[in-house]
Amino acid sequence: MAILKTTEVSRLFGGLAALIDVSIEVNENEIMGIIGPNGAGKSTFTNVVAGVYLPTSGKIEFCGQDITRNAAHEKCHAGISRTFQLTRPLVGLNLIENVMLGAMFGRNHPMETARKESMELCKFLDLKNIERPISAMTALEIKKMEIARALATKPKLLFLDEAMAGLNKNETMDMIDTVRKIHSQGMTIVIIEHVMRVIRELTHRVVVLEWGKVLCEGTYDKVSADPRVITAYLGEEAEC
Amino acid sequence: MKYSKYFAVLVLLIASVVLPNFLGLYQLQIMNFVFVYIAFALSWDLLLRSGQLSFGIAGFAGIGGYISVLCGYHFALNPILCILIGSAVAGIVALLVGYQVLKLRGLYFSIVTLAIGEIFRVIVRNLEVTGAAEGILLPNAIFMGNAFKTYWLMLTIAAVTIIISILFKKTRIHYALTSIANDEIVAASSGVNIFKYLVIIFVVTSAIQGMAGAAYWQIYASVTPEGAFNLGFALLPITMALFGGVGTTWGPVIGATILSVTAEYLKLQFPHGHLLVYGFIMVVAILWFPRGIMGVINKITAKFNN
Repeated sequence: MAILKTTEVSRLFGGLAALIDVSIEVNENEIMGIIGPNGAGKSTFTNVVAGVYLPTSGKIEFCGQDITRNAAHEKCHAGISRTFQLTRPLVGLNLIENVMLGAMFGRNHPMETARKESMELCKFLDLKNIERPISAMTALEIKKMEIARALATKPKLLFLDEAMAGLNKNETMDMIDTVRKIHSQGMTIVIIEHVMRVIRELTHRVVVLEWGKVLCEGTYDKVSADPRVITAYLGEEAEC
Repeated sequence: MKYSKYFAVLVLLIASVVLPNFLGLYQLQIMNFVFVYIAFALSWDLLLRSGQLSFGIAGFAGIGGYISVLCGYHFALNPILCILIGSAVAGIVALLVGYQVLKLRGLYFSIVTLAIGEIFRVIVRNLEVTGAAEGILLPNAIFMGNAFKTYWLMLTIAAVTIIISILFKKTRIHYALTSIANDEIVAASSGVNIFKYLVIIFVVTSAIQGMAGAAYWQIYASVTPEGAFNLGFALLPITMALFGGVGTTWGPVIGATILSVTAEYLKLQFPHGHLLVYGFIMVVAILWFPRGIMGVINKITAKFNN
């Protein structure tokens, strides 16, 4: 069953079309991957669905409801949560407070409940010393904290925008396990990723974007064998 | 260490209660300035914690002042009631203006808040009912000019501001405002209704400024357009908050206390050059302790704790 359904969603920035008639469905309880070369519109798609930008045209349905014109915080309340390509920790708050933000405002929890739930989430994601300031955290920890902040809103759908970017091999393995752990709790996840191994290991289905349009979709094996995708995206790999 | 904080507050409270017994009329009058500027500086800092730089103090203090004096002049209401009405009207104006203005950010927001005072100054200057350019003179000052009673009134207003600031630091609103100041996209994505919280903080701080302005002009029992909407009311509290250290409750309080007392002292010592010395103090403060006095205090306590 489709939990998220976009119908011919377009987004223009002035004369530049970042998304053109993108129709994508995300099924409940799956891990879907979105791949595509730089500038294909992956992050714009996340931003449009999560409400940072409104679509220029098209329709976004979530759990059967039309949320096309909803503001970002309303989309969060509806159950869409996301992390950011470049980490965006709130430096004025410490680790646990960052996570609490999601629990307090995503779910309208009072402070005490929010703290308790956030502590459980930190434990679940293996985050320690939860009263640390952001400046004392590693890149991996900040990424995990952002996932915890997103999970604290108790989403039905989680967007992970390049969660592995900038991580080394071990950290990437750690992150893949983390995503699996979150999925095993019944979460529907969309991952936007450049690291192909991550897509191969995690996703049930992949959508390929190019120049703001959907190029093709299917399983990783099907998509990675598609000649159009190889030219558009994996072509560089074939050369070396 | 934990209890020393409560101890300090207790000492401060006792000091402010005992203080008037040792002060003359002139010193009591200075204390009124201190309390007004505490309310202005701290309320300005409260809004700054959401990332919005406002010059609206002059406007809202003027609105509060004018409304309260008008209520006293035309309807002969109890001065305390007049002050509360002035505060409420300042809050309502902030709500109406905020609904439009809080969609703006950065410089654009700041410029509009600067304009609020100017717009109302021009309006009251040209209306008969507000006394036009001459302003309005009340028959009597609040409490018939009793300096002790005005001291308690101004102390209460400053204390209310401090309590609101402490409450806002300890509740959900602190997280909302900090997230908005740090990163609005993250705040919204985490479910924070940015516009709602900005309107709340803008209305609350403006109502405080309206209340302090109303009380201030009730003491003088008069208002004039140039006096009530004086831009100094916007700029001095900002300097005081920066001097004391922004983002904290006690920074602006300390800054307002030190600088308003210093300003008065300098006026007595150097009647013709006091602003020069005042400016010199500011330059030294910015150069040597840019995080304000609270920044220095925090540094020292951090060293002690280590």
